[in-house]
Amino acid sequence: MNSHHDHHAGPPPAPYWNPYTAGIGLGLVLLLAFVVMGRGLGASGAFSSLVATGVSCVAPTHAEQNAFYKEYLGDGKMNPLKDWLVFEVIGVILGGFISGLLAGRIRGKVEKGPRISIKGRLFYAFIGGTIMGFAAKLARGCTSGQALTGGALLSVGSWAFMLCVFAGAYATAYFVRRQWI
Amino acid sequence: MNAPFFKFGAFNEEISLVIAVLIGVGFGFFLERAGFGNGRKLAAQFYGYDLTVFKVMFSAIVTAMLGLFYLSWIGYVDLSLVYVSPTYLVPQILGGLLLGVGFAIGGYCPGTSCVSAATGRYDGFVYLIGIVFGIFVFGEMFSIMESLYSATPMGSITLPQLFGVSYGMIVMLVVFMAVGGFIFAAWAEKKFAHLRPEEQ
Amino acid sequence: MSNFCNRLTYHQWLALIAVVLGLFAFVAGDPYSGSRITIDTKELASIVEGKVDHVTALELADWIIQEKTDYRLIDLRTEDEYSEYHIPTAECVALPDLMELPLQRTENIVLYSEGGIHSAQAWMLLAARGFVHSKMLLGGFEAWQDSVLFPTLPENPAPSELAAIEKLKSVSAHFGGAPQTGGQAISEVKRTITAPKNTTPTATGKPSGGKKKKEGC
Repeated sequence: MNSHHDHHAGPPPAPYWNPYTAGIGLGLVLLLAFVVMGRGLGASGAFSSLVATGVSCVAPTHAEQNAFYKEYLGDGKMNPLKDWLVFEVIGVILGGFISGLLAGRIRGKVEKGPRISIKGRLFYAFIGGTIMGFAAKLARGCTSGQALTGGALLSVGSWAFMLCVFAGAYATAYFVRRQWI
Repeated sequence: MNAPFFKFGAFNEEISLVIAVLIGVGFGFFLERAGFGNGRKLAAQFYGYDLTVFKVMFSAIVTAMLGLFYLSWIGYVDLSLVYVSPTYLVPQILGGLLLGVGFAIGGYCPGTSCVSAATGRYDGFVYLIGIVFGIFVFGEMFSIMESLYSATPMGSITLPQLFGVSYGMIVMLVVFMAVGGFIFAAWAEKKFAHLRPEEQ
Repeated sequence: MSNFCNRLTYHQWLALIAVVLGLFAFVAGDPYSGSRITIDTKELASIVEGKVDHVTALELADWIIQEKTDYRLIDLRTEDEYSEYHIPTAECVALPDLMELPLQRTENIVLYSEGGIHSAQAWMLLAARGFVHSKMLLGGFEAWQDSVLFPTLPENPAPSELAAIEKLKSVSAHFGGAPQTGGQAISEVKRTITAPKNTTPTATGKPSGGKKKKEGC
C-alpha cells in the first residue's frame, strides 16, 4: 500500500506486510515467550542494565549508593549484562536486520517529513529518546514490556499506561507535525 | 500442565539466554515486517492517515491474549506462573503520558528504535542514544523520583480481578474493542488520507 | 454457505475468528480453573520410592546451620503453635493457603507439621501440581524435637560413636536444645523448650536468595 521512492540505487524495497499479519506474528512470538519463559517481551529494561553497568564502571561507589542502579546491578556476583532482556534486545536488533535485509530495506537514511532538516530531525530524535527513556523508567516499562506484554496479560497498570501513551502522543502530535507531514 | 517450561525447570538460566536471543529475533523480525523500523510510519499513527501502530499492536495483543487464554483453559499453561508486572497506577499514568510525548517527538519506542537503527536509520540510532541518556537522567534523579516511582502500589492485579468479572469476559471485551477499533481505523485512514505525504 | 465464505476478505476472516474465539472465551470463563490437576501416579510413586521426597531433621538442621538459602521451610501447624516455637527460617502457612502461595516449581520446598500426616497430605497436593522438588520433614516437628533439640544419647557410647555424639551435641546446642542421656526417663519439664524464640524471619519473610530484579521491561 506504500510506494517507496528512494534516492538510493538498488532494487526498490519490498512493501511492508499487511499489518494484521505482522501483528499476529508478533502476538505468536509474545505467546511463545509466555509459554516457554513465563514472561513477556521487553526492551527498555535492557538499556537500564546497560546504563547501570556504564555508571558502575565509571563511578562504582556512586552506582552502589543509588537504589535504581543497584536494582539492575544485583549483588555484584553476576555480570548485570548477562540478563534475559539484554539478550532479547540483541535478538531484536538481529531480527530487525535480517528482515530488513531480506526485504531490501537496509538504507542509511533519516526518516523525516519534507519540511524539516536532517539536523533538526536528529535533534528531535534525541529529545524524544531522552523523554522516552525517562518515562519508560517512571512507568516501569515501555511499549513492549507494558503495553504489549501487560496488555495481553490484562494487567491494570499496563492498560492505564497504554491509554495514556496514546493520549500523550495525540496531544503532542499537532505541535511536531512539521517533522512528519 | 507443563508450561511455562522455564518455571517448571525445563532448562537452566544459560539456555534461557539463548532462548532470549531467539525470541528477540522473532520480535525484531515482525516489528520490521510491520514497518516499525520507519519512524515516519510510526508517527503517522498520530495524524490518522496510517494506523498501522494500532492495528499491529492490537492484533498482537489479541493473538497472545487468546492464545494464552486457551492454552491455560485446556490446562497446558499454568497462567498463575506467567509473570504479571505489578501495577503502580500514578507513576504508570504519568509515565505513559510522558512516553507518548516522547513517542510523537522522536517517532520510536525502545524496541522499534533498535529495529530502526539495525536497518541503518540514523534517526533511530540517535533516538537510542537519547533513551540511554534519558535512563541515565532518571537514574541520577532517582532520589527525588523515588516516592513518585513507588506511589500507589496495587500489586500484580489484572482487569478481571479489578472489576470482579470472569477472565473470559474481559477477553471477549478486548476482542470486541479491538475489532471495533480495526473497523474505525479503516474509516479514519480514508478520512485523513489527504494528510498522507506524497513521498513515503 | 460456501458463497458466504468466499465473499469474506482476509480481514473479515480474521475478525470473524477473533470474535468467535472471544465469545467462546466468555462462555469458557476462567482459565485458572481449567488448569485441572492430573496426577502422574507412576512418577509420584517413583519419587516416594526413591526417598527423595523427604529430609531428615538432622539434614535440615545442617542446612540451617550452614545458612543455606536454597530451600523454603513451611510450617503447617497452627499459628499459636508456630508463635510458641518453630524451626528457624520457617514460615507459617495454613494448608488451605498453601495453594495460594506464589511458589516456584523449581523451589526446594520443605514442609513440616506436628506429626507427619499433614505434611504428607500437603506434599501430595504440591507434587500433583508439579512441585516435584517439594519435600517433607521426616517425622515432622516431633522428629525435630526428638533428634535435634533433645536427642537421646547412648549411656555408654562406643569410641566410634564419640564424634557423632559430639556433633549431635553441638547441633542441639545451636538450636538451644539439650541432649538427653539414654535410659533416663525424659521428664516433661525438660522438654519444654527453652530455645530462643523467633530468632527467625517473620511469617512472610523467607530467606531471600534474592532474585536480582523484576522481570518486567
